[in-house]
Amino acid sequence: MTVIDLITRVDAICKKYDKYDVDKHRESDNVSGDDAFARLYGAFESQLDAALLKSEAVATEKNRATAVAMNAEIRRTKTHLLEELPKLQRLAFKKVKGLSKEEHEARNDLVSAMKDRIQAIPDGSTTAAKTGGGTASASSYTGIKFDSTFDGKFNDEYFQKTEESDKFRQEYEMRRMNQDQGLDVIAEGLGTLKEMAHDMNEELDRQVPLMDEIDDKVDRANADLKNTNVRLKETVHRLRSSRNFCIDIILLIIILGIAAYLYNVHAFSTLAYLRIMCLSLASIHV
Amino acid sequence: MAASDPDKLIAKADKLTKLSLTRWSADWKSATVLYEQAANAYRIAKNYEKAKEAFEKASKGQEMISSPWDAAKHMESAAALAKELGKWNEVADFYRRASELYVVCGRSQPASDALAKGARALEDAAPDEAIQLYTDACAILEEDGREQMAFDLYRAATTAYVKLEKYTDAAAFLLRLGLAADKCNATNSQCKAYLSAIIVYLYAHDFKQAEKCYNDCSQIDAFLRSDHCHFASKLLSAYTEGDIEEIKRLAQSSTISNLDHTIIRLARKLPTGDLSGLKADASREEEEPLDENDLT
Repeated sequence: MTVIDLITRVDAICKKYDKYDVDKHRESDNVSGDDAFARLYGAFESQLDAALLKSEAVATEKNRATAVAMNAEIRRTKTHLLEELPKLQRLAFKKVKGLSKEEHEARNDLVSAMKDRIQAIPDGSTTAAKTGGGTASASSYTGIKFDSTFDGKFNDEYFQKTEESDKFRQEYEMRRMNQDQGLDVIAEGLGTLKEMAHDMNEELDRQVPLMDEIDDKVDRANADLKNTNVRLKETVHRLRSSRNFCIDIILLIIILGIAAYLYNVHAFSTLAYLRIMCLSLASIHV
Repeated sequence: MAASDPDKLIAKADKLTKLSLTRWSADWKSATVLYEQAANAYRIAKNYEKAKEAFEKASKGQEMISSPWDAAKHMESAAALAKELGKWNEVADFYRRASELYVVCGRSQPASDALAKGARALEDAAPDEAIQLYTDACAILEEDGREQMAFDLYRAATTAYVKLEKYTDAAAFLLRLGLAADKCNATNSQCKAYLSAIIVYLYAHDFKQAEKCYNDCSQIDAFLRSDHCHFASKLLSAYTEGDIEEIKRLAQSSTISNLDHTIIRLARKLPTGDLSGLKADASREEEEPLDENDLT
């Protein structure tokens, strides 16, 4: 059997036979006999100890925020305890059986001591209590107060403007204004550029189908031109290679010459010859 | 022959075209040629009346010989001369006829161009007719799916409407422009069109319409994401607050300067009328719900 098993077994047995434990009963009776006062006192003690522990932790805490939070927690506990204190006092005055007279008186003392102990818990506002004076500290515990950890630190020195810092601030403002102006100018320019770019974009989009049309038309015109060129070439070739044309012209000149000669020399008969010549020429030509 | 008296040319051409016992069919080809020559001669002689008539006849001749393109061209020349003479109804008629002939050729762009030219000529003299011509020109282009070209026409029509102080019509036209821009994915023009429409409504002191317009246009993604939408919302909120200084400041901003110059002029004149009236409306609207709460 291991140690752990032993321990658990012992615990179980103890629990079972608790009711036979006279000492323990007497103790609990004692406590329950003292009834509310002792119980409450015990509770107070434990809370006080916890608060003290926390205040110690705050002293060592580096993080400001956690320190503030813990201080707030401590203060809450303190106010809570102080509220409950009158209850404790009332209980202290109650007559409980089984309690000696001395103990009864001691209870009162215990209560007042408890009060002092509660107030003594450091919660970060002790510095204010010191500087604020006794009355301030007394009133601060009866009224609601929003404690600030910087109490007393916001004095005149904090906001004192030195000349240097003034000048620095002014310069900073001036530079910032200049920068703003410059940026405004740039923004205007960029806006104009953007507009122009957009318009150019749209214009180009508009011209794309026009360019396509021009492309088509020019292609067609090109093809037509090529066609026409080829045909023209053919025609010119045919014309040049035909001798008929040249022959016709030469013959015509010769015949006209002869006719003129004949007309000049012989008037009458040349007409008949002329007519025959013309007819023959015509037949040749056709 | 070419340099001879244009009157004689006209007479000759008329003779060629008039049907009579000796002539069974009119010789339009030669007649057209003569008509053209006469018209040019008249134009050089600055005899616009006769030139115009000659062009008309030449155009008719071209039609007869089935060349609508030349016919349309002659009609346009006749119309230009009519404009010089100041005969506005004739101008409109001629340009319309020219446009029809272009459509017969199957060329929509020149058709709408002809109508646009007519509209521009009539802008001062007969603005309603001009607007009609603009609308028809836009319709022709839209039918052919070439809305891109219509933007300028829409803008010109809007300017004409603003000159006539018909602000609701102007705004409606701008919205049509927005629609056309949407079809071509021209987001910048679209956003500018919508912003211009809102400004026109505000200028006409129709705040409710302006707001409605803004809400409608905000449905459109492209507008919603744009600078113009942002600007419009600022303008409308300045109006609801009745902040005149703010409105004036907004009107000076660069967003406005990118719009059409007629719109810029309107924007600079904002705010028109009484802003407190708008504020009273707004506050009254706020009071009513309170009353209802009291009753319940």
